[in-house]
Amino acid sequence: MKTEIEKITILPGINKFGEKEKFEKIEIKKGEIVAIVGPTGAGKSQLLYDIEKLAQGDSKSKRIILVNNKRVSKKLRFEPKRKLIASLAQSMNFLTDISVKDFLSLHLEARGKKFDSELIKEVIGGANEITGEPILPETNILNLSGGQSRALMISDVANISISPVILIDEIENAGINKEKAMQILVEEGKIVLIVTHDPVLAFNTDKRIIVKNGGIIKILKTTLKEKGIGHYFNWVGNYSLEIREKIRNGEKVEKVKLFCEPIK
Amino acid sequence: MKLVIFAGTPGSGKTSVVKYVIQELKADFKLFFAKFDCLKTEDDKFIAERYEIPTIKKLAGELCPDHYTTLEIPKIIKENQDKDIILLETAGLCLRCSPYIKEGLGINVLDVISGNPDRYGPILTQADIVAISKGDLISQAEREIFRTNVLKVNPKAKLAEVNGLTGEGVIDIVEFIKASPEIKTEKLTLKHSMPSAICGYCYGNKIIDEAAVRQRYLAGKELKNLVPNLNCGKCGFKSCDEFIRAVLDVKAKKSQCPFIKEKLEIK
Repeated sequence: MKTEIEKITILPGINKFGEKEKFEKIEIKKGEIVAIVGPTGAGKSQLLYDIEKLAQGDSKSKRIILVNNKRVSKKLRFEPKRKLIASLAQSMNFLTDISVKDFLSLHLEARGKKFDSELIKEVIGGANEITGEPILPETNILNLSGGQSRALMISDVANISISPVILIDEIENAGINKEKAMQILVEEGKIVLIVTHDPVLAFNTDKRIIVKNGGIIKILKTTLKEKGIGHYFNWVGNYSLEIREKIRNGEKVEKVKLFCEPIK
Repeated sequence: MKLVIFAGTPGSGKTSVVKYVIQELKADFKLFFAKFDCLKTEDDKFIAERYEIPTIKKLAGELCPDHYTTLEIPKIIKENQDKDIILLETAGLCLRCSPYIKEGLGINVLDVISGNPDRYGPILTQADIVAISKGDLISQAEREIFRTNVLKVNPKAKLAEVNGLTGEGVIDIVEFIKASPEIKTEKLTLKHSMPSAICGYCYGNKIIDEAAVRQRYLAGKELKNLVPNLNCGKCGFKSCDEFIRAVLDVKAKKSQCPFIKEKLEIK
């Protein structure tokens, strides 16, 4: 079953105290990135959960999630292969003793697709744009560094998981080019929701949803100034990414070549 | 009345899942919780105190946990006719068997870091629902591969990904429970048969020797034919099999069993 998601809409539910959330509706369109922010325990994960489960007023928050302006049928919600929504959780650990190439082909199979060496190359290529330390197809996944694992999983979600909505819960982001990572995800025309307080990620969005006491209290449109600040932090991050690789390779680092690229 | 059986290897997260299921169901349904374990558990007390529902603890002890569970199920049902849902949790399975009942709902709580699902027997292959736990410990891609592997060994299973720490995903299981059929007949059927081989070791033989185990088997079988096999408890033991072991170990007298005593007196 293939479902094109053009838009998802969040309709208000209730907060921890049973009070109705004060917004009419939140619309998120294809290709948009939205950050979810708020203090610990404020209900950020609950919001992701509502979207992941396409809640129909039956979750703790009583929110309703519309897809393309419509309520969602039970069949679609509990569809076993659950292709509508993919989530990228905090953990990027692997257990299987297998090469990157074979792992990706297993994942392709799990997604009901045929072996496709071009696509596998594309996934690894995408990952290598995000991480400073190149991944080889023959590398054992158990030997990947933290940055490499994260890069591989982001590229995997962008290219192999056909899910049109991607939820990211406080991803650890050391060792990756964050702007590039977001760019790869959105290039595929996906909706991305990300729980984060990292300035690069939080400002590289279209809007931010602010959560407190279990309810959505505010929606902020990301301003151009904020985007600039995020972009600046990304530069800094990328310098450290480069230097990190130099340190890894046992090089001396006594000078940093500064270059800036304008915001796109 | 519905009968829901949660099974899974120790540490897979059964009790954590059951906790959240109880929390979701207890407002609308009259619940009863039975915890089966091999040696020790305090979960019955914990659940009773926190959720204020009636619970019971059943320890298999010397018995095969699946045999024991199956023998106890009719008693639990009989004693809880006023309940809407009986939740039964059982651990300590050797993977040879499964405790699921055709008329009820069988849920296998399967830990995502427990290795390839094809190692598991009927506990997984005969489950109606597979609750995949601890998914947050591995990457999204590997989780999807795991799901596919589960469906390879149990294509009919409905899958739910659950987090026993936060309760995420339990809402799916609650939906499945609400949609599951009521028990209508008095006769329940096991989905999977029990082991067919009853040997001398089952009667407490410890000497690894063909002649010794054979001798023990014959002696045990003779007694097995005399006892009622109802685990009535009148002999002072929890089950007939434990009584037989005690007799063979010369720790109890045959006549302690009122049924044997009666037969001896008739003779």
